[in-house]
Amino acid sequence: MSLRAQFTRETSNAALPLIAFCIALNLTVGQITGALKIPIYLDSIGTVLAAVLVGPIAGILTGTFANLLASATGSPTMAFFIPVVVVIGFFTGYVARLGWFRKWYLVVVGGLLQGVIAAACSAPISAYLFSGVTLAGTDFLVLYFRSVGNNLLESVFYQGLASDPIDKLITYSVVFVLLRSLPKRITSRFSGASNLPSNNGAP
Amino acid sequence: MRLDLKSKLASVFFLWVCAFTLDWPVNATLILLAILLRYVVPGFRPTSQRAARSIVAFMSYSTLIVLIVVSLNAVLLPGGDVLLIVGGIGFHESGALFGLRTACRLVLLSLSVLLFFASTPIREFIRFLQGTGFPPQLGLVLLLTLHFLEQLPDRINQIFAAQEARGSPVRANVVSRARAFVSILFPLVLSSISESIDRGQALELRGFLGQGQMPVFENRRSDTSLLTMSLILLSIALIILRILNWLIA
Repeated sequence: MSLRAQFTRETSNAALPLIAFCIALNLTVGQITGALKIPIYLDSIGTVLAAVLVGPIAGILTGTFANLLASATGSPTMAFFIPVVVVIGFFTGYVARLGWFRKWYLVVVGGLLQGVIAAACSAPISAYLFSGVTLAGTDFLVLYFRSVGNNLLESVFYQGLASDPIDKLITYSVVFVLLRSLPKRITSRFSGASNLPSNNGAP
Repeated sequence: MRLDLKSKLASVFFLWVCAFTLDWPVNATLILLAILLRYVVPGFRPTSQRAARSIVAFMSYSTLIVLIVVSLNAVLLPGGDVLLIVGGIGFHESGALFGLRTACRLVLLSLSVLLFFASTPIREFIRFLQGTGFPPQLGLVLLLTLHFLEQLPDRINQIFAAQEARGSPVRANVVSRARAFVSILFPLVLSSISESIDRGQALELRGFLGQGQMPVFENRRSDTSLLTMSLILLSIALIILRILNWLIA
């Protein structure tokens, strides 16, 4: 399928409002984790949900717009990490097409792999654009790794490795459980319905 | 001076180039000038009280961050002269300079993005994108996102209160609260996806993206102003100078 055809398919009238919701979910999930005081980000949960339910282009669009809007609403550095969310959207959409969201153990492998890839992609941006400082709490971890003798790029990568795989594993797991509980009459409306188990949810 | 969005975007691009090509004293000066822009140039004035507050909050937050970044780098990265010793802890020159360079670059990059969005209503930005050939479906996605962003916080609060009333462990230990997270997220996603399906059907019925596409916005094109061109040329000149400097060194 050509890229244009895939873009048209993944931005159908059914998918557009879902993508919009997933962008908003990325931006507001922090409100839930903040209210419950649980120490996780899950700020790519909408990206993963859109990529699995619709496809990789929907995932890429969700992540890109979410980061742009996050920049506009008080986290200016997020715009520079758009390449990372593009990779997250593409990777998730691709592995979902391979059927990785049908089995729990493949979801675990996918989440961990996604975390390592995200850490590898964000490290050069964080190191070369911001010298490892992104106004987040994890900046202290970068400084710690530098002070024990690693160079900047290594330090930023190790910091990413310490947090990203766990965050992405939880994100993938939550989306997996969420999609399994969605009724089939809902999931069947989206082009990624074939990515889910055939006995998914109630009829 | 009224600024069109192209000039504002060119200003942001120019500040980004400066952040990466110029040294920290220049960047620190540019930060002060960028703050002045917000008061002097009407095109950069915040569009709302909330936007104005976000700039003030960012400035206080970034002042703290600059102090922390410089101090921590000065303590943890040895090299150069020892600038001062406090309670037996030495602050090194090269670490402090690295911290200053990093902090000034980060604040300038962040401030330029913040100034742009604080002074540009999102709807105006979407209209501008549409005018530059942005696909109508993506413009619609952004507008729908704004709708969801207005609704979701209230919906989250409602579900949170309802689950708490049902005895969901929203204030227990971490594991219980993590379980409560799922009990809040699921109804939120389910109700929002149902709503998005209804909206998709409404779009279908109104013929959006069907034959004879529905125009979301009229296509407005504007000429590139002298200011925009000057800023872009200046940015390109800075990049070339930086590359030449790097090649010679």
